[in-house]
Amino acid sequence: MPRYDIPYVNLPAQADEEMPELAAIFDRVVRRGSFVGAGAEIERLEARLAEYCGTRETIALNSGTDALFLALKVAGIGPGDEVITPPNSFIASTAVIAHLGARPVFVDVLADQNIDPAALKRAITPRTRAIMPVHLTGRVCRMDRIIEIAARHNLLVIEDAAQSIGSMFQGRKSGSFGHFGCFSAHPLKNLNAMGDAGFVTTNDAEAAARMRDLRTHGMADRETVEEWGFVSRMDVLQAAILDYRLDKLPDVIAKRRENAALYQRLIKHEKIFVPPCRQDEFNTFHTFVIQADRRDDLQRHLRAIGIKTAIHYPVPIHLQPAAAGLGYRKGDFPATESQAERILTLPVNQYMSAQDVEAVAGEVLAFYR
Amino acid sequence: MTRIDLPLQPNGTKVQWSYLPRQFNEQSIEQILDRLRAFIPTGDFTLGKPVREFEERFARLIGARHAIGVNSGTDALKLSLKALGVGPDDEVITAANTFIATIGAIAENFARPVLVDCTDNFCMDVSKVEAAITPRTKAIMPVHLAGQMTDMPALMEIAARHKLPVIEDSCQCILGAIADRNAGTFGLAGGFSLHPLKNLNVWGDGGVIVTNDDEFAVKLRRLRNHGLADRDSVVMLGCNSRLDSLQAVIGNWLIDQVDFITTTRIKNAAYLDGELGKLSQIRLPQRYNDRRLVFHLYIVFAERRDELLAHCRNAGVEAKVHYPIPVYRQEGLQPLGYRKGDFPVTDRHADAMISLPAHEHLTAKQLAYIVQTISDFYQS
Repeated sequence: MPRYDIPYVNLPAQADEEMPELAAIFDRVVRRGSFVGAGAEIERLEARLAEYCGTRETIALNSGTDALFLALKVAGIGPGDEVITPPNSFIASTAVIAHLGARPVFVDVLADQNIDPAALKRAITPRTRAIMPVHLTGRVCRMDRIIEIAARHNLLVIEDAAQSIGSMFQGRKSGSFGHFGCFSAHPLKNLNAMGDAGFVTTNDAEAAARMRDLRTHGMADRETVEEWGFVSRMDVLQAAILDYRLDKLPDVIAKRRENAALYQRLIKHEKIFVPPCRQDEFNTFHTFVIQADRRDDLQRHLRAIGIKTAIHYPVPIHLQPAAAGLGYRKGDFPATESQAERILTLPVNQYMSAQDVEAVAGEVLAFYR
Repeated sequence: MTRIDLPLQPNGTKVQWSYLPRQFNEQSIEQILDRLRAFIPTGDFTLGKPVREFEERFARLIGARHAIGVNSGTDALKLSLKALGVGPDDEVITAANTFIATIGAIAENFARPVLVDCTDNFCMDVSKVEAAITPRTKAIMPVHLAGQMTDMPALMEIAARHKLPVIEDSCQCILGAIADRNAGTFGLAGGFSLHPLKNLNVWGDGGVIVTNDDEFAVKLRRLRNHGLADRDSVVMLGCNSRLDSLQAVIGNWLIDQVDFITTTRIKNAAYLDGELGKLSQIRLPQRYNDRRLVFHLYIVFAERRDELLAHCRNAGVEAKVHYPIPVYRQEGLQPLGYRKGDFPVTDRHADAMISLPAHEHLTAKQLAYIVQTISDFYQS
């Protein structure tokens, strides 16, 4: 028997806590018999998310990937355009750019894994149309500098906020800086549905209306097809679940921040980079990613004693087979590449006790002794 | 004949279009909730065990080697075309009278939909396909609309002659068949919808692709999940288009009933055919001895259709029209350059079609009431 049983995520605990309310939600939605399309649940969730994120509009969609895709699509990104983004994200942020026929242009990241504004500035060409910063791990990028660069060069900013609901920079919520904020409500996110779900935030009412047509076949009403569309609706069932869980989100974030703060206090070691919380930042710790020597050995050791960890993400996007056509090579993004070998995501979920966090921190330190 | 009257349903009609309130009643909701209570604690929400189980059962049901669960029927078509490598400047031949999603799936891959007219069974007129083939044609996508069947043996012969792959839009045709061969198993792949108003329906958007081609199946599995071959290797440009595990739990509960749903609809349609066929103002679509038509929609051609539609609705029969404006005349398609009159059969249908409830939750009395309502209209 391993010494510990500390899971990376704990969906069973969430199920335990919420089952009666969830069953009531299912019952209510099923009896209404309205599973698909913009109904009361969708409108209510959209209004509440807009208020929470500090934007005029929210558009509920099928996934975070689709949120990015539709934002770029409505922004008019297409063949010949370049979109600047970091190579250390989940594959989806790059894939949507390529799907629209545009070219992803990668720039390297800072020690905190977020896009480097200086490198970003250097990557701008006459073909650059948009910047897609990724608020990785629930930390908002340096949006003051990014917005300034974008304004000077007349570029759109589309925030990949898939991991950063509720995160803030200089007191402003992620998703409220750029033209669009793109969120995921995947089952492993801080605000999580029970299947795929996502949404876009924006202050642009016209773009929001167009997105609402595009998510349902491009139909303005049952008989009129305005333009080619897609099927990218958030299931009404998932919207009802998210509406319920949105009330709990502040507590989820508070608990994760508490766990992260404990890690920050406990893990002090020259061989380990622990993600900081700077003055301007309110980090929500979708993931708590340390950077450490002999990472693979450390992960193996922790697994053997019953502590589950993860790696987000072991292979940078520019080195994936799917990216071969973009012409990047190993060595192009030194920070990203070196981090890929050193990053390790420790469990930080809201169901962990202080003792769990202390145990993980203690074992990490013990490994290097 | 004794006159029939019926009590009002909760939505104010007497013969409801939607069967959802009957399908998901006190008892069935409790059964399904029990399954969900067992499933939710597993946390297996993304491509989990229920999805694998559903895929296996669906493949068996249709008689295909593989079934791949995706986010919607539209995505089933879109991903199939993507897996074929359909892209800019390619042409895909499909039916002029289909639901917008078929065309959307082609356009989403930047390809050009080339339309052909339909016959009196609402499916592509196969005799017109050959004339539509050009050097840029990359695939043929017949649509088994309304639970009817395209003449697949003839179409497959043409496709083979021109070495063109066929993707069947079977979204409305689960268990439709020609000589016992099911829709979706003639071509390289078939796309199905699990939308809440389909014959096999889940509690949100959902779809399935079936194929007998092992390599094609692997490609589709990667395409639906970000192009991932495993958790860390992205081998192709993919999408996020997965059937939710939660929806697969519903699908697994319902799939046992598909035979009952199908046979009941066929029985209801046969009754309506027999009774409505007696009216000179109603014309039935083509019927066949060797085909199983599954009546996702029960459609007939009616004289003075718009008046009949209004009359039905006044009498509490929730009739509809699928679809009053043919897709080729939609604003979104104007760049394709088609004009009113290009597809005369489709146009004629658009003016005469009426869809009547024929679902498995209708009572004999409700069916008779539909007939009575329509007879009344033409006798008055």
